[in-house]
Amino acid sequence: MPELQTYRRQNRYDNNSKLLSGRSMDKDNQPVPHEHLEKMIALVANQRDKQAFGVLFKFFMPKIRSFGMQKLGHQGLAMDLVQETMQNIWTKSHLYNGDKGAVTTWVYTIMRNRCFDMLRKIQHNREDTFGDDIWPIFESDESIDTQQDNDPLMSNLLMQHLEQLPLAQRQVVKGIYLQELSQQELAEKLNIPLGTVKSRLRLGLEKLKSFLEKHHD
Amino acid sequence: MIKHHPQQALLDAHAQAQLPLSMTIAVAAHCEMCPTCQQYLEQRQDYIAAQTLTSADNCTDDSNGDEIDLQDDWSTMIDDITALPPEELAPFKPDIVEIKQRNYHLPRAFKHRVSRDWSTLGKISRMRLGIDENDSRASLLHIDAGGDIPEHGHGAQEMTLLLAGEFSDEYNQYQAGDFIVLDKNHKHSPSTIEGCLCYTVVDAPLHFTKGISKLLNPIGKLIY
Repeated sequence: MPELQTYRRQNRYDNNSKLLSGRSMDKDNQPVPHEHLEKMIALVANQRDKQAFGVLFKFFMPKIRSFGMQKLGHQGLAMDLVQETMQNIWTKSHLYNGDKGAVTTWVYTIMRNRCFDMLRKIQHNREDTFGDDIWPIFESDESIDTQQDNDPLMSNLLMQHLEQLPLAQRQVVKGIYLQELSQQELAEKLNIPLGTVKSRLRLGLEKLKSFLEKHHD
Repeated sequence: MIKHHPQQALLDAHAQAQLPLSMTIAVAAHCEMCPTCQQYLEQRQDYIAAQTLTSADNCTDDSNGDEIDLQDDWSTMIDDITALPPEELAPFKPDIVEIKQRNYHLPRAFKHRVSRDWSTLGKISRMRLGIDENDSRASLLHIDAGGDIPEHGHGAQEMTLLLAGEFSDEYNQYQAGDFIVLDKNHKHSPSTIEGCLCYTVVDAPLHFTKGISKLLNPIGKLIY
């Protein structure tokens, strides 16, 4: 795992972490530093520590990506899976409970659940969020639920509101939901970073949601 | 005591999300009701997680080669993610179905799946769930107290998860949590004294979806 090693050299936690030196590490075939991962999660949870998140990112990203390639068979989708899984780790780290399982189990659960929901979306065009109810570890964020399925009135309303979004957000929401592009592809098409696609999408969906809530009042 | 459990192969496939939705819901709901299978599932998940996320074999693709090229993308992604606030836990509330003046709390695996109407004939009521796949049909089946279903065979496989109450057939007495698979060679005539609620998948897709990415290829080509 050269990436982890490279990172280790730069990592400020290394110097004050006895956990790493306490275990006999074979340089070529390291055992997984579970305690180290736990410590990184705790730093993210308690201090919103970006550098600790960077460590987790470097460690898990290649594995999530190859899992994504294997299950989803598409580079762009695998990237989406990396983004979604890592985002869940950042926003839900305070819900991780070391008594209930290893960090790897927690991350695997998140990754598998997101992947399951993505497969449902691709195969059945369903915007489902089943994964976290079927294999619960923590509650999922169901920002947009399935109520607009098969509801022409709701669809019309959504289309009207969609036109009211700022151009940048509208492009992204339409690209993902109407043209069914992957986020990676949309990023390439619009020539903007993937992260920007994500944040525009999130802002756009939040705005749509608030339009709908207002409408119902 | 729950006496009828899913086979280990089903639990293993469930742990890896390799089952169709209708079956994976059944296994998940059983595990919610059955501490033995829940424990087995957790052990399997620990094992699979360690295999998937810590084995060096799983990151040997091209990840070393493009590490440098993608550096900017990754740091943008990290910056974007770390700009987000923590999300809070919404308390879980079970879905409740009402039939024949009875209320049933459903396992979490059914969440958001049970908002449809019942169709009732005498003591038997059925609610189709919108999770059919291929030829399989998933429903909630309620038999009111004292009711029975005339003897029937199965054109194909039938999976029944007893969610509440009891029923008996020629083979056994079943209680809440029992996970029962009957194939087309078995005829039976279930009856219940106090009433029961079941989740059934007819023509249960017990095969696994290992080749899922193969299945995706044509769709993938169409979309992308």
